[in-house]
Amino acid sequence: MNILVVMIPLSIVLLIGAGIAFFWAVEHDQFDDMDTPALLPLLDEPPTTDEALE
Amino acid sequence: MNTPAASCWHCGESLPDDPPRALVTGASHAVCCQGCRAAAEWIGQLGLADYYRLRSATAPRAPDPAEARRSAAAWQRPELSRHAVRTLADGRCEALLLVEGIRCTACVWLIERALGALDGVASVQVNAVAQRARIVWEPGRTTLAAILEALARTGYGALPLDAAGLDDARRREARAALKRLAVAGFGAMQAMMFASALYLGAASTMDPATRELMRWLGLLVATPVVFYAARPFFQGAWRALKARTLGMDVPVAIAIALIYAASVVQALAGGGEVYFDSVSMFVFFLLAGRYLELRARHRAGNLADAMAGLAPAFAERVRGDGTLERVGAAELVPGERVHVAQGMRVPADGVLDGADCRVDEALLSGESVPLRKRRGDALTGGSMVVEGPAIVVVERVGADTALAGIAALVARAQSERPRLARQGERAAARFVMRTLALAALCAAAWSFVDPARAFAATLAVLVVSCPCAFALAVPAAITRALAVLAGHGVFVVHTDAVEDLALASHAVFDKTGTLTDAHLELVAVDAADRDRALALAAALARGSRHPVAQALVRAASGLPVETAADVRTVAGGGLAGNVAGSAYRLGSPAFALDAAHGDDDAVILAGEQGVVAAFRLGERLRAGAREAVAALVASGVAVEIVSGDAAAKVADVARRLGIAQWRARQSPASKLERLRALRAGGARVLAVGDGINDGPVLAGADVAVALASGAELAQAAGDVILDGANLAALPAARAIARQTLAVLRQNQRWALAYNLVVVPPAALGLVPPWLAALGMSVSSLVVVLNALRIGRRAPAPASTPVAAAGRRRWA
Repeated sequence: MNILVVMIPLSIVLLIGAGIAFFWAVEHDQFDDMDTPALLPLLDEPPTTDEALE
Repeated sequence: MNTPAASCWHCGESLPDDPPRALVTGASHAVCCQGCRAAAEWIGQLGLADYYRLRSATAPRAPDPAEARRSAAAWQRPELSRHAVRTLADGRCEALLLVEGIRCTACVWLIERALGALDGVASVQVNAVAQRARIVWEPGRTTLAAILEALARTGYGALPLDAAGLDDARRREARAALKRLAVAGFGAMQAMMFASALYLGAASTMDPATRELMRWLGLLVATPVVFYAARPFFQGAWRALKARTLGMDVPVAIAIALIYAASVVQALAGGGEVYFDSVSMFVFFLLAGRYLELRARHRAGNLADAMAGLAPAFAERVRGDGTLERVGAAELVPGERVHVAQGMRVPADGVLDGADCRVDEALLSGESVPLRKRRGDALTGGSMVVEGPAIVVVERVGADTALAGIAALVARAQSERPRLARQGERAAARFVMRTLALAALCAAAWSFVDPARAFAATLAVLVVSCPCAFALAVPAAITRALAVLAGHGVFVVHTDAVEDLALASHAVFDKTGTLTDAHLELVAVDAADRDRALALAAALARGSRHPVAQALVRAASGLPVETAADVRTVAGGGLAGNVAGSAYRLGSPAFALDAAHGDDDAVILAGEQGVVAAFRLGERLRAGAREAVAALVASGVAVEIVSGDAAAKVADVARRLGIAQWRARQSPASKLERLRALRAGGARVLAVGDGINDGPVLAGADVAVALASGAELAQAAGDVILDGANLAALPAARAIARQTLAVLRQNQRWALAYNLVVVPPAALGLVPPWLAALGMSVSSLVVVLNALRIGRRAPAPASTPVAAAGRRRWA
């Protein structure tokens, strides 16, 4: 059972880390628009015309 | 539906006879106006022509380039830009724009690239749902005016919002809710882990020290959940208590506080049972329901946004020497003269000075036909000049205008609406209070019998009967209903609307734009040879853009239509021309016959020998209007029309729809009066509307349905937004709402039955903690699974392209 002495603090640290990461993400606009960003990369195809390549 | 060849390549509107052509990446495409042509060619030059391939909805009609340039230039004036631009700490400037016409993700792609290509623009963030763009730029290298002009060239009109809106309250609210949800979720998972260790450890051999450790760990993870995540419940309960009411928050807060406090006492004292897992999970479930509700609310527009879009931001002031000067509409003072170009909105209330014009007030008054205004007639701010230009002497500005008055009426009606406490919540609150009383009783009884066990038994009663199933019964059913309704193109803004929708006893419809759409249609023909008469009329009417002419042409589609020669348009009269060698006149009786005719509203086709035919035109009924009204009547709802339009027009539509009750010529205030009278008679009123003049009625009804195609103000006042053009979604939505109510009641009955079974053993101290926690979870699960049945046997979803596009924006 001694392994608990390592595992439990580790899980608490991870928990706090995940919480901080999530808060950071919320504060940095990551959850403001849940619809558009997911689709944007699908649209970002290379230009098809010579003119556009410049 | 327009065929691709007959509609504008850029915006999809119908093409004029000789359309301009846009040259994009070597190919020529027909477009509807110079604005669209400029936008399409500009997009091509930027190398962004891929937009046309990527988009899933057509672009908005592009503004006229010269007009757009003038609008943008006005933002050079410091009086205007001062409020809209915020200077950041590093010297860069930031502005928030409300962009009109973002319809799909390709728009976001296009705007981000078109503006990003501009020198000096540091960042562009477009939010398609909120229709907002946040732009940061370096003031030395570009200006707000240049950014707005670039946006206009790409085909989007934009309105800078007040800089105060940059830290808008909605965003803060959404972020705070998300953080609380995350804390509750993490906490609940961890607490559950430590609790299972305890439950399993109770059966096997776990040494007391480890058990002690598990209790303390439970306390550690549950504390932030109770003190941070559950704060809204405590705040809500406190507000309710101060107002001397008993909402759902009070029992929830008491339950959370009691279970947590008791568990803390047990953990500190050592040896007792703790319920940190139950309390965390309870908070998490409740917050999840609230978060979904908040997202639905934020997707609909708010009143402030609607107000920003109502009246134009600018006016063209006529200087003393007759030249025009562009100023902000807020700068106008009564007595000044402004010039309103054709197709623009009147910036303030005033009086027409100078040449006649025609204005469209459909959204303001419900009047279905553009009105001819003569010198000295009053013009209302916000109405659109269809035939102009108009010179207006400003009389009232700002808060004194009719438009501001309607908006104020909406705000007041909304705040006055006596919200019926949700039936489900009331029942749940009552039940939870009884459970709490029972727990107190149990504690008292045990303290006489065996004080040592009093605490454990009381806690078991609290947890096993934990209001979870009850508190979840409503949100689970409502949340599922919202999702199902959204699939049908019906977006619910205020969740109580679901109950009101199911229970409505009266339905009040607006006419113009709600039961009818913008077009006229041929109702009857009085002629010897119907087809021949229609073909002749269509031959004359083919070149005209007048709504009557277009309706006649539509009606004659499929008939052999000859070509008319020498067609002349006589303003205020009609059309005259030659078909197959004979002269014909088409128009009002006075024009076509030079004499009165029995029927003044008819459109007369006259030849050299007199009347050939009399056409009666009526407003075209919206798709599904007939079905919607019939279905509502069949389910026992009293249907009535309250319109701002003329009596004859309202009567005609009422007759065609089979509605006996109608009122015409109603102002927004008198519409609201009618609604109050109905409600005073005990009716639950469902109001359906689309216009600005419907705003007060919508805000004052028990449940308001606004059309997504209507005015922003109506949508802001609506509880339910109906997407797409078909009204038949309304009875379908009502069917789902009724089903939701049924499921909701089942859930409550189940929760009641469950509690009746488990509370007595818990009170007798016979329920071990692991069983109490399990019982709580299972009872909640049953409630959630039952809620998922909603919509399973509902009518097939209306999967029109419009509904699909709307889903993206709202769902």
